[in-house]
Amino acid sequence: MSGPGRRSHLAVFARSFLIQGSWNFRTMLGGGFAFAMLPVLKRLFRDDPEGFRAALQRHAEHFNAHPYMAGAALGAACAMEEEGRSPEEIARFKRAVRGPLGGLGDALVWAGWRPLTVLAALVLALSGVSPLVTVLFFLVLYNGGHLALRIWCFLVGLQTGSQLGDPLRRAALPLQADRLARVGVFLLGGLVGLVAHEMWVLAGWALTVLCGTGAIWGLWLGGLVGQRGWKWSIWGISITITSLLVFGWIG
Amino acid sequence: MSLALLALLGGLLALDGTSVGQVMVSRPLVAGVLAGWVLGDPFLGLLIGGILEIYFISVFPVGGSEFPEGGPPALVAVATGVAAMETAGMAAGIALGVLVGFVWSRLGSGSVQVLRQLNGRLAPDPSQGEVSRNRIVWAHLAGVGADFARGALLSAAGLVFGTWLARTLGDLWPLGMPGTLGILLVGASLPAGAFVRSMGGWRRRAAFFITGALGFLVGSALL
Repeated sequence: MSGPGRRSHLAVFARSFLIQGSWNFRTMLGGGFAFAMLPVLKRLFRDDPEGFRAALQRHAEHFNAHPYMAGAALGAACAMEEEGRSPEEIARFKRAVRGPLGGLGDALVWAGWRPLTVLAALVLALSGVSPLVTVLFFLVLYNGGHLALRIWCFLVGLQTGSQLGDPLRRAALPLQADRLARVGVFLLGGLVGLVAHEMWVLAGWALTVLCGTGAIWGLWLGGLVGQRGWKWSIWGISITITSLLVFGWIG
Repeated sequence: MSLALLALLGGLLALDGTSVGQVMVSRPLVAGVLAGWVLGDPFLGLLIGGILEIYFISVFPVGGSEFPEGGPPALVAVATGVAAMETAGMAAGIALGVLVGFVWSRLGSGSVQVLRQLNGRLAPDPSQGEVSRNRIVWAHLAGVGADFARGALLSAAGLVFGTWLARTLGDLWPLGMPGTLGILLVGASLPAGAFVRSMGGWRRRAAFFITGALGFLVGSALL
C-alpha cells in the first residue's frame, strides 16, 4: 500500500472512533459510516466528482453494528472500493455483515468484557485499593481490550475485504463471549462475598442476615425478570429513599 | 470548582457515552471518582459511582434501545452527595446522591432519545436526494456538538437542583450508614440477578457465582 493509501486508512480508522456521532433512528450509523469513509473516497475519486457523490450516497445509507466492530465493515468497504467492486456488491456486503457485527459485539463487549472489567475494578476497590488506582486499573484493562479489538477488526476487514466472514468465524467470538460471561459471574459472586464481609464488620450479624436474605430474593427475582430488573430496582429504591425522607420530615 | 467547569466536564462525559470514543470514562464508577476527586472527596465518589454501577450492570446499550445514562448523572449524584455530606453526614450524602443520580439517569436517557430524533433531521437521507460531502460532515459534527451541549446542560441543571435538594432535605435522612448501605445493596441485588440471567442464567452459572462468593468471603475473613 502506498503512502497516501496508508494515510487515508489511518484517517478512516481514527474517524471510526466518532462513528456514532450522528446516530439516529433512520440511518443509525449510516451518516457516521460515510463520515469515516471520506478520506478513502476522496483519494479514490479525486478526478471523478460523479463517482465520489455516488459512493458517498451509498455509504450514507442505513447501517448498524457494534461501534467497536463497525471498523471491520469500514476496513472491508475500503478494500472493496479500492478493488473497484460494484456498488451493488458493496451494498449487499454491508447488509450482510451489519447483523453479525452487531450481535457479536454486543455479546463480546457490552455483555462480556465491560461488566467483567467493571466487576474486577469493584472487587479491587472493596479490597482496599484507592479510588484513583481502581479507576486507572479499570480504564487501562478495559481499553487494552477495546483498542485491541478495534485495531484487529479494522485490519482484518482491510485485509480480507468481502471475505470478512472467514476470520470472524475462525476467531470463535461467541466462545470468547461465553468465557467472559463465566468470569463475569464469578467476579459478581466475589463482589457479593466481599460486600457480605464488609456488612458483617460494619453492621453486625443481625442486619447482615436481614440484608443477605433480601439480597438472595433480589438475585432470584432479577434472574426471573431479566432486563426489566434495573428499572424495577431504580423505581423501588427511589420510592424507598423518598418515603424515608418524608418519614424523617414528619418525625 | 465553578458550576461552568463542572458542566463542561459533564459535556465531555456525555460525549464518551455514545458519540466519541466510548473509552468508558462515562461509566458511573469512573465519572463518580472523577467528580469526587474534583470536588475533594474521591472516596464518596467511589461509593456512589460503584453503587450506580451495580444498578446499571445489566443494562446493555443495544441498537436503539433506551438505557440509563451513566456519566453526567454520576457527576450530579456525587456533587449532591458532597453537598449533603457537609450538613448531614455520609449516609445522607449517599442516599440523596443515589436518588438524584437515578432521576438524572432517566432524564439523561430521555434527552438522548431527543438528540437521536434531532440527528435524524440533520443527517442526510440518501433515499430522499443527493448527499453532499459538506452535509455529511456538518450533520455529523453538529450531532457531536449537540451531544456535548446536552450533557453540559443536563449536568448544570442537575448540579443546581442536587445541591439545593441536599441542603434542603439532607438533615431529614433518618438512617445511619449500615441501614443506608443495606437498603441500597438489597436493591442492587435485582439488577445483579438480571445480569446473571443475561450471562446464561442461574442454572448454567450458579456454580461460578457460588464459588466466587464463598471464595472471596472466606478469603476476606481470613486476611
